[in-house]
Amino acid sequence: MIVEELVLPVLMVFFMLAAGAYTVAVLDRVIAGALGTPQTGSVWIAPLARGAWLMTQHANATEAPDWRAWRLAPALYLSLAAIGLAVVPWSGSLVATDLVTSVVLWGSVEALATVVIFLHGWSANALFALIGGYRYVALGLSYILISMFVLIGVALPAESLQFTQVVASQEELWNVIRQPLGLPLFLIVGLGMTFWGPLNLADSADLAGGTAAEISGPPRLVWDVARAAMLVAFSGVATSAFLGGWLGPWLPGPLWVAIKMLAVLLVLLLLGRLLPRLAPERCVTLMWVILLPLSFIDLVWAGVGALL
Amino acid sequence: MFPVLGVQGDKALRHLTLSPDIELVDSPRHASVLLVAGEIPADRFEPLRRVHDQLPYPFTTLWFRCEPWPHLENVTRIDDLDVLPAALVTAYHELMEGRRESSPRILLDKPPNPWEGAGDFGQGGEGMMGGVPYGRPMAMNMEDDIRDGLTLDSLTFRLGPFFFAFPPGMAAEITLQGDLVQTWKTQRAPYPQSLDPVFFAARKRLVPIAALELARARHHLYRLFHALHLAGLESASLSALRLANNLSTTSTLDGLRRYLSRSGFFRLAAIKGGELGPEQARRIGGPAARAAGLDEDLRSDDAGYRRLGFSPVCQASGDTRARWRQVLAEIDQSLQLARQAERDDVSTSEVDRIETPRGPWLEKRPEDASALLDEILPGQEWGDALATIASLDVAAVAEAPLDTQTTGESPITELSDDEGGPA
Repeated sequence: MIVEELVLPVLMVFFMLAAGAYTVAVLDRVIAGALGTPQTGSVWIAPLARGAWLMTQHANATEAPDWRAWRLAPALYLSLAAIGLAVVPWSGSLVATDLVTSVVLWGSVEALATVVIFLHGWSANALFALIGGYRYVALGLSYILISMFVLIGVALPAESLQFTQVVASQEELWNVIRQPLGLPLFLIVGLGMTFWGPLNLADSADLAGGTAAEISGPPRLVWDVARAAMLVAFSGVATSAFLGGWLGPWLPGPLWVAIKMLAVLLVLLLLGRLLPRLAPERCVTLMWVILLPLSFIDLVWAGVGALL
Repeated sequence: MFPVLGVQGDKALRHLTLSPDIELVDSPRHASVLLVAGEIPADRFEPLRRVHDQLPYPFTTLWFRCEPWPHLENVTRIDDLDVLPAALVTAYHELMEGRRESSPRILLDKPPNPWEGAGDFGQGGEGMMGGVPYGRPMAMNMEDDIRDGLTLDSLTFRLGPFFFAFPPGMAAEITLQGDLVQTWKTQRAPYPQSLDPVFFAARKRLVPIAALELARARHHLYRLFHALHLAGLESASLSALRLANNLSTTSTLDGLRRYLSRSGFFRLAAIKGGELGPEQARRIGGPAARAAGLDEDLRSDDAGYRRLGFSPVCQASGDTRARWRQVLAEIDQSLQLARQAERDDVSTSEVDRIETPRGPWLEKRPEDASALLDEILPGQEWGDALATIASLDVAAVAEAPLDTQTTGESPITELSDDEGGPA
């Protein structure tokens, strides 16, 4: 009982955290190399070497930071990523925690991420970190709203807020086809929520790293791993919500989930490398004026589809 | 590695950017090696000490073409750019393997002024409202918002002279409200920038237009490299740098231009605003002036250029977006002129009136225009403000030409020593 309901799920989540973050690091390096970034050494070893380097580096101090919050924020973000990974089903029965409200739990992860990212920026008591935190708060609400409408859209045909039921409802037709606006909207939201690539406004280059501008050593390692793991958790949720999760011919269900998650990750990482960072003002306009109305249309579309 | 750029240190930065063994970072907190590249003027020693002490333990320092401070122990000076990447890698490995001791802190780890807060959390106390704890103004609501009336706490801080997004050497005191620049005061002008020797040669004798135009295109591509890095377009930034390093009359800008257009650089990136009025545009000159619609280019007065059918290209709006369109157009134009000039063997016909990539060089070299930023940047969001700075070539032109012999950036034409001297 304890093994099945506690130990195995926890081990499963730890494995996904480690393997997922490592996969993101390798994929991103491969993509960067393919796009012309000069690199040396093995792509398989480089993420491990980087991790070892950060472990040897000291965690630095700033002037009068909020120490507890500053040290806690990366760990909290990693915990949120772990919660996200815990609700991703790998098959009808293989899921770390098959809550009946797992869609709602993912929504709370998105909301709490805003708090944690702001905490990370604010607690450093440093300029760029603070601006990065402010920027995320200014934009976070718009990401969450769109994400919620889109996810309600996939819950409607399933008549459930449980990801395993959402996947099961796609036996006949995947949501990516049934609700064509859903996945593109969700992927854009994902880039914003995980502040990656064109929507990385919290930890951006113009802020010399933003909320992470002042961190070094193990806290930076935890923060980097947490960001990568959150991207994996997001791709897992996108896979379950739109790409039919474990559904697919010939191959075992978990392998289908892994393949689909890798495909989503590849798209996100490619977008991250190919597009410029959006101006915050343009980002707000894009979210509220274009994407939010589109998410309403997606929801109406899903509702009408569910009624018919 | 975090680079601290001294005079002509940007050449080392560009060289290291293309080195596969080196990872450059934008914050000293993210580095284990500090590279002091180029001579640091004495008035920037204090900021250098502060940057030095921000690197987390263990860290080490290398000085490139700069005399290390005598009180520092275990520091390495490198003068040859070709061996610099290997020296940095060696220093890093020695540090990680414990064969090299970490650099010591230079400054005392204590606030420059005592904190005078009286409460449990350092709050309150006499003189704290509007005071300057630790020698800096507090974040507080002292000024009205200049954009939409939503007044936030304003935050005043000093940035530079080693902030990666500024021209090397520049420092400013800035007040932000949220993400919005309220005031900007340039405190230190950037170092004068060195131009390719061919521009100095052109002030002494008639030079091939092909050489002059390739040097001009390369200068603009180096600026584009920096701006694209800032915009988050790393691969395009590297493409611009590679194109600049391998520039010849057969080079084209088509691939890079297409990529910038398709990636949404002109529509999505933070390059809004930064308009220059006609008077401001004239003060800075060069491509920035032409981007504001001023049809002024000394090449129009040169018979050699007229023979090639030269006429200045211009934009109208004078903002950051127009300046980058202008730069791309001028690179294209320069490459085309270089091809024509090489084919027809055309040289310049003027020596006392030349158009440098920085602006017109008549009696005097183009002068520093960084004070202009104080007028342009207030009212812009932070990202747009940095993009505006990147789009404006504000540094003065240095007395001496670019030292091309050991930089890895080979000169466009072979010039004898006396041709490369100051005019």
